[in-house]
Amino acid sequence: MTIAGYQVGLKQRAALSGWQAALISLFAILVALVLFSLVFILDGVNPLAAYREIFSYAFVNQYGLVLSLSRFIFLLLSTYAFIIPARAGLWNIGMTGQLYVGSLCAYGVVYALGGKASQSVYLPPLLVIPLMMLAAAIGGALLGGLAGLLKGRFDVNEIVSTMLLNFIAFWLVSEMIKEGGIFMNPQGRSESFALPASLHAPTIAGIPFTVLIALALAVVLKFLFDKTRIGYQIKAFGLNPAAARYAGISPPAISVLVFVLGGAIAGLAGYHYFAAVPGVYKIARNYSYFGDLAFYGIIAGLISLGDPLAAIPVSLLFGGMSNGGRWVQGKLHMGFGLDYALLGLLMITLVGFQFFYRYQITWQKEEAHGDVAIPG
Amino acid sequence: MQQQPPVSTDKGPLPSLEELLADVKPGETVLEMRGVTKRFADVVANDRIDFDLRAGEIHAVLGENGAGKTTLMNILFRLLHPDEGEIYIRGHRVHLRSPVDAINLGIGMVHQHRKLVAAHTVIENIVLGHPKAGRVLNLKRAEEEVKALSERYGFKVDLRARVWQLSEGEKQAVEILKALYRGARILILDEPTTALTPLETERLLESMVNMARQGLAVVPFITHKLPMVLAVSDRVTVLRGGQVVAQLNTRDADEQLLARLMVGREVLFDIQRPQVEPGPIVLQVEHLSALNDKGVPALENVSFSIRQGEILGIAGVSGNGQRELAEVLAGMRPARNGRIRFDGRDITHAPIRERWRLGIGYIPAERTEVGSIGDFTLVENVLLNFYFDDELVKRGVLDYRRARELTRHLIDEYGIAAPGEDARGRQLSGGNLQKVILARVLARHPRLLLAALPTQGLDIGATEFVRKKILEAKTQGSAVLLISEDLDEVLMLSDRIAAIYEGRIMGIVPAEKARREQIGAMIAGISEEASS
Repeated sequence: MTIAGYQVGLKQRAALSGWQAALISLFAILVALVLFSLVFILDGVNPLAAYREIFSYAFVNQYGLVLSLSRFIFLLLSTYAFIIPARAGLWNIGMTGQLYVGSLCAYGVVYALGGKASQSVYLPPLLVIPLMMLAAAIGGALLGGLAGLLKGRFDVNEIVSTMLLNFIAFWLVSEMIKEGGIFMNPQGRSESFALPASLHAPTIAGIPFTVLIALALAVVLKFLFDKTRIGYQIKAFGLNPAAARYAGISPPAISVLVFVLGGAIAGLAGYHYFAAVPGVYKIARNYSYFGDLAFYGIIAGLISLGDPLAAIPVSLLFGGMSNGGRWVQGKLHMGFGLDYALLGLLMITLVGFQFFYRYQITWQKEEAHGDVAIPG
Repeated sequence: MQQQPPVSTDKGPLPSLEELLADVKPGETVLEMRGVTKRFADVVANDRIDFDLRAGEIHAVLGENGAGKTTLMNILFRLLHPDEGEIYIRGHRVHLRSPVDAINLGIGMVHQHRKLVAAHTVIENIVLGHPKAGRVLNLKRAEEEVKALSERYGFKVDLRARVWQLSEGEKQAVEILKALYRGARILILDEPTTALTPLETERLLESMVNMARQGLAVVPFITHKLPMVLAVSDRVTVLRGGQVVAQLNTRDADEQLLARLMVGREVLFDIQRPQVEPGPIVLQVEHLSALNDKGVPALENVSFSIRQGEILGIAGVSGNGQRELAEVLAGMRPARNGRIRFDGRDITHAPIRERWRLGIGYIPAERTEVGSIGDFTLVENVLLNFYFDDELVKRGVLDYRRARELTRHLIDEYGIAAPGEDARGRQLSGGNLQKVILARVLARHPRLLLAALPTQGLDIGATEFVRKKILEAKTQGSAVLLISEDLDEVLMLSDRIAAIYEGRIMGIVPAEKARREQIGAMIAGISEEASS
């Protein structure tokens, strides 16, 4: 292609360094924000003012920041639940169901210890909180592991099985918390009983302590993927199952393993949102909203190319934008769904710009090529 | 169909194909390339190539992998545009814009990898994409025309058969017929004898001679199989490092000379088989049976044994159970019946990794699909056979530093041409990739080496190297199972030769007593009693 006397073409990249990927992604975000300003302009809103409002609520405002970070933690965990199976070439679409079951298991522990009776029941937090987290992880791991087992043992498509398990988990939660359910709120508001005050998770400067777990997981997963034998086997299986098998890697073992790990982390995401975020402390009536939010983990995982560290800024951005978008929609009296639209455009642009992860644009001055252009 | 403007020449539009080739006489130059150069980044793939082609000749183009054959072929067929140089057809300089131009000028190409629709019939495949086919198919007329063509050149294919039912040789014949039906007068054949049985090869050579006799120019591109070149071609052009190093009449050449021109040094064709006193039995296979991927018996009641310091060659035509045999022994396919003993121990149901640990090393025939991972670095590819070794794993953490040292050492020792140990598997040529696999398997010093088609598709230099290494493994005390579809290779390397046909061992013959014709008959399933 020739533009203004320059021969412009595409060249496949030999390698992509981390900072190149970061730069391309930053550029994509800018492009998405510029594109989205159209929405504001059409509504008669100054886009710059709108963005200032969004970013300051998402990352500066005291309340907004805690909310953004709570969502960030949730998204980061959801992303890891997706990334681990993705490394093995498998698609976990079931983080939603896994986090539902994880939350149910966490509340099951409280229920079993009599925590439903009243919010003032004292249960030793140092013992019970770890127990709740463990139960959440096991619950998520079991549901995930089921899909992994079906895949590894009977070659049942994991996308279909995890998706369908999501529905089962969704209605299971409903059954448990709605009218007549075991976890029903005594006031019957279609939500679960509230956690006793003694089990409200500790916070650090208002931020749930689960942030430490999520960030520690980033380091652990990075190490697991890059340094360990298990990480090597997962990667080999993901890139070429036949070659992995030749090398003695067991396909069923890998698919069960990655889904158990991914499911456990999704279960923790459930614990995090419904038992550790200040002001929630119950399986909320709108639990399906968070189930849907977990799906953004898929896109965050794809954008970060399966890198646990790169997933941190991506999840932070999405956590903040979903929160700031919702805020600005109310504040500026804009139409419903502004936050979804903003997130959607950001994601599409980021994914689209991944084209430049693989290709780069080249240009050189046009030379006279007698042979190239042929008169008909 | 969109009407294409005619191909332009320096003397205005080119006349139609019929006019152009109206009075071609055998021996007349029909195509000429002058100073054709093609660069990829810093690599000069074709360096000022001069090449000419005469009607009625078989003109073989020889060269090792990376010599520039594929580039030249793709320029001829206009899949690539040359950076410099000129192409003339019967003296007209032509500017080809796409393969369609090449086809319209009577250039036909038969790729090594078949490009046919498996579910369609032969005639449907031949007609597919033909301008005459138009919107309404007249298969009947087409069938008559193709039948006439195949009789003329001596091809035997059932035009109503579905492509998936055909053998490799028949599929190739379909591709050739397709090119001829499209009007090809110059036929480019890419590695035409790969994957053909000896009988099919013979038939192909006959057809090539027939086509040449009737005025076509046939251009086979070849990396190995020098005897075939010598048998049928009239002239040979040898490429090395992107340049034409020789162009000669075949009658002035012999195998030694061609190999030396290709490789650039003397090549040993007759490797001396080292004599090793065989040790105890390492592998004992008893009444082994297995199914193939479709669930059909592929291996039936196979029994043999291999001693330490011995090579047992499995000779056979592709698809007679060799693949299943290798996979059952490596643990990748379950045995339906029978027993496998390794060092006296029953390993019939042992998992794959345990077999590696016990000392079985497997070189699979599928280098890129099974033997390596294209997106892995060479270090990671080497780790495929070492990631479970205590020496390279400490408490579940891989010792990448040592893996890197090992890889670097193997790259040196085996002379692997790679940009470095962080190069990806897919960046390597077939020969170098095979060296990586071979190096990594042999670095384990396996007690039993399973080598499936270890030299298939490799050029002469790499083939010679792989064979030497296999013999070296034997002298160092490995028991070797060599599976090969190249009968000469089996005869050259093996101490004993087993012929396999339809999943059965037709007989096992010691190398001293083996005659080529006898083994050749056995792998065709002809004389079972020939085994003695």
